[in-house]
Amino acid sequence: MTSDKLQINKLYALSSENRKFSFSLPLKQSIRIGKRNYEVKLKSDEKYGTYILWKNRKYPVEIIRSRQNKYEILFNDISYTFTVETPFSLQRMKVLNSKKSKADKEYIKAPMPGKIIDVLVREGTCVSRGEPLVILEAMKMQNEIMSPVSGTVVKVTAKQNTSVMKDDLLVEIKP
Amino acid sequence: MKIKRILIANRGEIAVRIMKTAHIMNIETVAIQTAVEPNAMYLSSADIIFDNTDDVSEIPVFLDIEKLIAIALKTGANAVHPGYGFLAENAYFAQKCKDNSIIFIGPSPDAIYKMGNKTIARKIALASGIPMAMGSEGNISNEEEAVKIAEKIGYPVIIKAASGGGGRGMRIVRQSEEMEKMFIIASKEAEKAFNDPSVFIEKYIENPKHIEFQILGDTKGNVIHLGERECSIQRKHQKLLEEAPSSALDRNLRNQMGKTAIEIAKAVNYHSAGTVEFLLDSEKNFYFMEMNTRIQVEHPVTESITGIDLIEQQILIANGEELRLTQKDIKLKGWAIECRINAEDVQAGFAPDPGKIMMMNMPTASTIRIDTGVQEGSAIVPSYDSMIAKLIVSGKDRRDAIRNCKLALDKVWIKGTKTTLPFFRMLMRHQKFQDGSFTTAFIEKDLDKYYLNSEYEELLAAWLSTKLFIEENLNDDSINIDFEHGKEISPWLLNKRLNQF
Repeated sequence: MTSDKLQINKLYALSSENRKFSFSLPLKQSIRIGKRNYEVKLKSDEKYGTYILWKNRKYPVEIIRSRQNKYEILFNDISYTFTVETPFSLQRMKVLNSKKSKADKEYIKAPMPGKIIDVLVREGTCVSRGEPLVILEAMKMQNEIMSPVSGTVVKVTAKQNTSVMKDDLLVEIKP
Repeated sequence: MKIKRILIANRGEIAVRIMKTAHIMNIETVAIQTAVEPNAMYLSSADIIFDNTDDVSEIPVFLDIEKLIAIALKTGANAVHPGYGFLAENAYFAQKCKDNSIIFIGPSPDAIYKMGNKTIARKIALASGIPMAMGSEGNISNEEEAVKIAEKIGYPVIIKAASGGGGRGMRIVRQSEEMEKMFIIASKEAEKAFNDPSVFIEKYIENPKHIEFQILGDTKGNVIHLGERECSIQRKHQKLLEEAPSSALDRNLRNQMGKTAIEIAKAVNYHSAGTVEFLLDSEKNFYFMEMNTRIQVEHPVTESITGIDLIEQQILIANGEELRLTQKDIKLKGWAIECRINAEDVQAGFAPDPGKIMMMNMPTASTIRIDTGVQEGSAIVPSYDSMIAKLIVSGKDRRDAIRNCKLALDKVWIKGTKTTLPFFRMLMRHQKFQDGSFTTAFIEKDLDKYYLNSEYEELLAAWLSTKLFIEENLNDDSINIDFEHGKEISPWLLNKRLNQF
């Protein structure tokens, strides 16, 4: 085991859109663009908090979430999600992914905290893509939560006049 | 001055804004402390704080007419400023103030009522020969009637709440099959938001510009306009960016629309500051949409190009004074842009992102004005709107203002919630915004991405993730990857942790 781990000379950051960035170890404090190396510095001070200094500009950074090897980073007010993989875990992931079949259900979750104003579907309702399922009020706005797929509603957990948190399950649809 | 002490029946940045002018005018102010935001920034601007933190009622105090009147009487305030939102356009509240000999800083209850009810406003405008989009004569009672009228005026149509405003209770219908669903949604939304489910129908003008005119009227019958604001950058009918003047208007059209705005105001004997909203189609035909009988969120851009303090004007007019300004005194100078920096997630379709402001750095310059009601440590609470601050940037012309705004946006640092900043950074660089050809459909139709991220930002974020991973899982001597014991950490612990590098 130990000898395996010592062979790690590279790490990969995989974005949620499946873009792969590779970094050799030990991690350099610079990033190569074309033929030039640009220094990257991670700093923090009282006034600005944590920031990255890159090409003479400061960019605010923050970790929004970090769980196991998954990181959600806020960089210049935009969030990015990466999983960091070693060459071994990347290999293992590829094998696992090839075996995993496609998800058989679509889970519709609350995109924001709010109150359920109306539930427009019931179990067994056939819905087409783009059809509103639930009306969720958040911060004085009524938002229609649309179905991302066409299919049959198999479960409705959203209840009218109840409050939900972000990512609470609302409806399950079988495509 | 009759007005000695003003009760601010509002919160947030507009409360701060009103009190700023009141102080300059040597008028005392009363602010209300609530249990939801007991340490809100606006409280520090007030001369007197009324402690209402023991009130646990579900209705915010700013919507409770009886309570507000009682507070005004108890604190000896002889005037009330409603700000915007809440009771600002509630005729009954204005009347109640009057009944209790409290000066309501705004128009008469009659004008609020007439303009607040969109079907009555339509009738008044029609009678005065004001250009308007075709529509139903009065309210529509059911979807069958809605379908009938829509067939007559032709699709697409827009369903609007009769008592509406601020973009709520509005739905566009493109074909009769959608009518039933949209009618119910609009009506429900209207009932929820305005306590009145009645709706009416108008021909929907495709891809218009939203142009509004600021007007000022006194109690002696004088009305002037202070030029226009362009508010076409909207999502879900909610404004995100406003500018003054508009690149779509020349002097001729400005005079013509300004004159129309004054006519509408005169038709209801309007006094105080008000806003007449128009839609401008691609052929430069304009249509009266509605009149807002209050100070607007975006009033600073008008203040910037006219040099007039609109809150001061409201107070003077409410005090019964005659306008000292005539139309000839109004000169528009330079250009101003307002960005509404909201706690919203632009990557999730502008979903609200409430939270605590951990850090806030705002740029300062002669071309920059910041109107805000929050500071470091303040919470953006889900029960109110998501505004953090308004960034108002001016320039000698539109190009200059955009350039100044672009620079200013990079100097705004807000940590603790996601914000609309990445949207504005993208917008300032967008061809259609720069050339002024954008319409109210811009966000929905012309954008495939709501934010800006430069080429290398994702790479840098990947580098940072990798760096954190190494720090958490690998150390120099023994490489030890512990995937089984992942942990949730507070992002705000990051500072300390990073300092250990």
